Amino acid sequence: MISTITKLPTVRLRINETDLCGWIGQAAPGDVLEYYRGFLAMDTFSHGARLPECDRAELTRLARRAWWAGEQKLIHLVQRRHGPDDYGYLAVARSKPKKAPASLSSLLLAEVA
Amino acid sequence: MRHSISRSDLQIIQHEADIVARRLIRQLRLPYDDLADIRQELLLDLFARLPAFDPERGSLGAFAGIVMANRATRIAHKARRDRRLYGAVPASLDETLPNSAGATRGDLIGEDEGLAAYFGQPVDAFAEAERRLDVERGLGTLAPNDGALCAALSRTTVDRLAGGGRGARSSLYRRVKDIRLALLAVGLRAA
Repeated sequence: MISTITKLPTVRLRINETDLCGWIGQAAPGDVLEYYRGFLAMDTFSHGARLPECDRAELTRLARRAWWAGEQKLIHLVQRRHGPDDYGYLAVARSKPKKAPASLSSLLLAEVA
Repeated sequence: MRHSISRSDLQIIQHEADIVARRLIRQLRLPYDDLADIRQELLLDLFARLPAFDPERGSLGAFAGIVMANRATRIAHKARRDRRLYGAVPASLDETLPNSAGATRGDLIGEDEGLAAYFGQPVDAFAEAERRLDVERGLGTLAPNDGALCAALSRTTVDRLAGGGRGARSSLYRRVKDIRLALLAVGLRAA
C-alpha cells in the first residue's frame, strides 16, 4: 500500500527554441546558459503532468535544437544535478568553427544549373 | 478669348513681375542673382495663361497679379523643399578645399555617410566579407536539401516552389522556419 506520494514540483519553461538559437548566435566561447531546469526525459514525455501540453511541445523542440547545436559543435551540453528529478541543463558556447564547409557560390550555381 | 497686348499692357505686366520677383527674393532670402530667373519664370507662366484672360471679368493688371501670386507660391514651395533636401547653401562635392593640397569636399565624406549607406546598402568591405563567411558557415550546418532550398529561395518564392512541385507549402514553410533558426544559431539574423 502506498503511504506517501512524493509530489513532483511543477516546472516552468523559461526559454524557447528561438531564444536558445539567438543566444548561441551571439554567445562568446565559454558563455553558459541554463536552458532548462527539470527532468527532460520526464517533462518531454507525452503523458507527463508537470508541463501544459503546449509547453511540453516547445520543450521537445528546445531539447532537439540543443542536441542539434551540440552535434554542430556550436555548444557543449552538460547537466548539473540539483536533486531527485531536478537537473540543470547547461549549454556552454564553443568557438565558432573557422572553416566554412559550404560555398555560397557553388550552391547558387547548382540551383541555376 | 484672345486678347492682344498693347505696349502699356506689357509695361504693366513687366512691372508686376518685377514687384513679385523682388518680394520673393526678400521673403525667401534668395541670392539677388536669382531675380532675373524668377522674373522670367513669372512672365513665361503669365504669357502661357494669357489666352484665358477675359477683359470683361477684370483688368489685365488684376489677372496678372493673381496668376503671378499663384506662381510665386509654387516657386516658394520649391525653394523651401530644395532647402530641406540640400541645406540653405548647397555646396559642391567637387569644390576644392583651401590649404588642402587639392582635396575636395567629397574626399572628406566617408563611405558610411554617403547615399549608399543612407539607403541601407553595405559599405564596409570587411564586415561584408565577414558576413559572407558567416553565411557559408551557416550553410554548412544545413542539410543538403535545405541548402538547395535556400538557393532556390534566392530567386523565387515559397508559393512558386510549391506550385512547381517542390513540396507542400506548409512543409516548405516549416523547413524555412528551421533554416532560420539554424542560421540564427550561427549568428545570422533575418534581414
